[in-house]
Amino acid sequence: MNLSEIASKLVAKSEGAGASQAEAYAVLAKTSSIYIDDNIPKIADVKEEVGVGLKFITGKKIGFTSSTLLSESIEDVVERAMSMAKVSAEDAKFVSLPDPKKPAGSSDRFYDQTTGEADSDVLLERTMTLVSSAVSDNVSVPNGVLRASSTDFQITNSLGAEAESKSTMVFGYFTAKAEESNSVGEGVQRCWSRNLNDVDFAFIGEKLKHQALDVVQAKGFKENWKDAIAVLAPSEGSEMLGSMVGFAVSAENVNNRSSPWTDKVGDSVAHESVTIADNGLSEKGLLSAVVDDEGTPMQTTPILDKGVLKSYLYDSYNASQVDLASTGNGIRRDSRDAQGSFSSPVRCRSTTLEIPASTKSIDDIIGEVKRGVYIEHFAWPQADPLAGTFSNEIRNAQLIENGELTTKIKYALLVGNLYEAIQREVVFGFDLEVHNNRVMPTIAISGTEIVGQ
Amino acid sequence: MLDLMTNAIEGISDKKVTFADIRQESRVGTMLAVVNGALRRFNRTNRAGTVARVLVGECWGQASTTKEATKARLEMLLSEATKMAKASAKYSRKDIDLSNVNSEQKSVWLSVKEDPQDVSTEEKIDFVIALDKGMKIDDRIVNTNTSYQDGKLLIRLVNSEGARLEWDELRIRAFANPVAREGDRMHYDYDVVAGQTGYELIRGVDINEFTSRIAQGALDLLSAEKPPSGKMTIIMDGDTSGIIAHEVCGHGSEADEVVKERSFLTGMVEKRVGSDLVTMVDDGTLPGKLGSFPYDSEGTPATKTFIIEDGIFRGYMHTLETAAVMGVDPTGNGRAQDYNRRIFARMSNTFFGPGEWSTEEMISDTKDGLYIIKPMSGMEDVVGGGVQVSCLKGYVIKNGEKQQLVRSNALAGKVLDILATVDAVSKDMTFSGGTCGKGEEDWVSVTSGGPHMRAELIVGGG
Repeated sequence: MNLSEIASKLVAKSEGAGASQAEAYAVLAKTSSIYIDDNIPKIADVKEEVGVGLKFITGKKIGFTSSTLLSESIEDVVERAMSMAKVSAEDAKFVSLPDPKKPAGSSDRFYDQTTGEADSDVLLERTMTLVSSAVSDNVSVPNGVLRASSTDFQITNSLGAEAESKSTMVFGYFTAKAEESNSVGEGVQRCWSRNLNDVDFAFIGEKLKHQALDVVQAKGFKENWKDAIAVLAPSEGSEMLGSMVGFAVSAENVNNRSSPWTDKVGDSVAHESVTIADNGLSEKGLLSAVVDDEGTPMQTTPILDKGVLKSYLYDSYNASQVDLASTGNGIRRDSRDAQGSFSSPVRCRSTTLEIPASTKSIDDIIGEVKRGVYIEHFAWPQADPLAGTFSNEIRNAQLIENGELTTKIKYALLVGNLYEAIQREVVFGFDLEVHNNRVMPTIAISGTEIVGQ
Repeated sequence: MLDLMTNAIEGISDKKVTFADIRQESRVGTMLAVVNGALRRFNRTNRAGTVARVLVGECWGQASTTKEATKARLEMLLSEATKMAKASAKYSRKDIDLSNVNSEQKSVWLSVKEDPQDVSTEEKIDFVIALDKGMKIDDRIVNTNTSYQDGKLLIRLVNSEGARLEWDELRIRAFANPVAREGDRMHYDYDVVAGQTGYELIRGVDINEFTSRIAQGALDLLSAEKPPSGKMTIIMDGDTSGIIAHEVCGHGSEADEVVKERSFLTGMVEKRVGSDLVTMVDDGTLPGKLGSFPYDSEGTPATKTFIIEDGIFRGYMHTLETAAVMGVDPTGNGRAQDYNRRIFARMSNTFFGPGEWSTEEMISDTKDGLYIIKPMSGMEDVVGGGVQVSCLKGYVIKNGEKQQLVRSNALAGKVLDILATVDAVSKDMTFSGGTCGKGEEDWVSVTSGGPHMRAELIVGGG
């Protein structure tokens, strides 16, 4: 049976078993990987996973179950879902599954054939290109992984929604270790793309090497700078800003009253320099699809326009609570791992958060900073999504003094509050990069503190 | 199934293959989530897959599928894995001898007082709703989130050295998280109970105590002050010391990071790495702990490994391969998230050992410092040995007394510097179950924890 037949059969059998509504998500995920260990390909891996997720609804009682169908039949899955719905508590807020709507293009709009068909031999060659660029007498590549995946999913529900979407994604994560006269440094580079051929592996290898060598030369920061400007590389700034904004605009968190931006549509929540949209049809987005994971066409939704909160992001469940239409933000898939998306129902979350490119280069941004720090790598970039507070360890950075990069530093904390920081002017670069489910440039924020060790 | 898997392994004829194994996993589980007093999610899963691994030189090929594990399909997985391993092996620099691995033929089944599958769904739903509603102690608690999960994992494993193993693992977890708001200020608290045990863990939860404590914790944070920044004396609670044990010493002691000399702890065996109050253990055999298991994903029995003993570094956590390379016994730390993921050196239950102090004595003995409680996350720095641990809250200590509450903060420093300054360790131990990722992914169940510890660290508060 193909995915469409599996999904249709699950829905039909659920209806036959008494479901007032049913929804089936069936997915085939294929992934090839190469893991690097100590400069060589340590593990070559191929995996193929078929999975289904079935939502069985009787009135306002909902049971969701998932299966790989290895050790059970479609009938077993339906039977389990039905028994779950029987004993479940009512969800008073549930209204209906989404109505059928026309998908935003052909099912393979976001599928790249080269990526979808890349086997471990192809990935081996690309990966070793990166390793060769990075390795030198005093630089090694201890760890790395490159994955190329294809996802083909079918969503079918008992209201007639029936859609398929195919997509591809590439994810890479590599570290380099540099050693010079008893000092060590680490570089970290990730790559994200829908198309394997868009990734310049030799360039990433070079960048990895130079980052590791920079860290070797960096000195532990010993001072304490208040009211500093932090210029954050796209990998770091997009993770901090994207995860915080994504949390604040998810209608699930808004309806639950856990979002700090609850009841703030139309209000100015950020400086006029900040404009962000959620683009489910982003050409570069790893979650882009012609429908979201419950069958609603994906779209572009403005979130912040010159600092004004324009909209939250909705899946059908949360949209129906406030009499609005879904914005196509019911998501099960993950932007770095194709396997396992069937194992949970949709969550209301961002697809691809995009910030428009400015005309400023990194040099332009740094040239305007009197006192601050340019950060290429944190231990892990994060900000508390409720309070906005952050305190992140700097692993690779360079001080900025009077518009120029000066001392290379490491081992310090960058401290501040991101909700407060985006209420002051934020400067963005023109260097858009894809990181996770965001397409964002270099970001400069003010009012931070650099705490030395 | 074990016969089918054994036959497939025995059918490998390629002389370049020096080791192979096949593992089949089947997971069944229930997840319930309640938000603001109402059931929001009720999920059950049945996820199964089969993975074959093949070793050629020092390179592995691995192929997995969720399709039915017929003889032909198992042979196909081994064939694909062999082809990939041989392609990578042109870069191989040495052979790995795994001829002395565990070749047991055994079935090991976990015994619990009350299997969660024997508890009615209605009872589980009642528990989660009660836990969620219990947190609504004040109008300023604007959001409550609660979840319950149980999961049973059945694993079958055969390898080319004759092992035929099957075992199960049962894990259970309840989590609660209140969010408090006053004006534009919002804070949360949380707590979790988790273990490799039966439903008796849930029956032991005092719902009133559990929920009112964390709800009050979130409310108290609404008036908490920003913590001071800089280097200072820190008393860490057991969960926080456990994160440091896990993230920095633990990941740095995983032998795959040592054989390639990436870890800052490479070559440190029998060297002093901390004050003589510092002992650290990884123990996958602890009954009831979330990170325990009878065998790791390679079929090696779980063991107790002393990593640091009285300040002296003793040894690493090994997979089959790293043990063979370093000429020691495997320690049962070769773990994979699931059939889709690789096996590499991972922790189980990791913690610092106890000392002689009471927590009260440690506080009263501290003139000026911070008492840090409740970690939120940590990040390893295997190369540099640096610490980043984000924590939810703490208290200023002045002249031996716990004073004002401070909000979220991060602890930092170089771990060898920190461990050298440990001058007080408590008798009491706490353990928290959670999941661990390595290199930002590959999640496995672990426990970390330990005693209260006093040391010098850098603090930054947002």
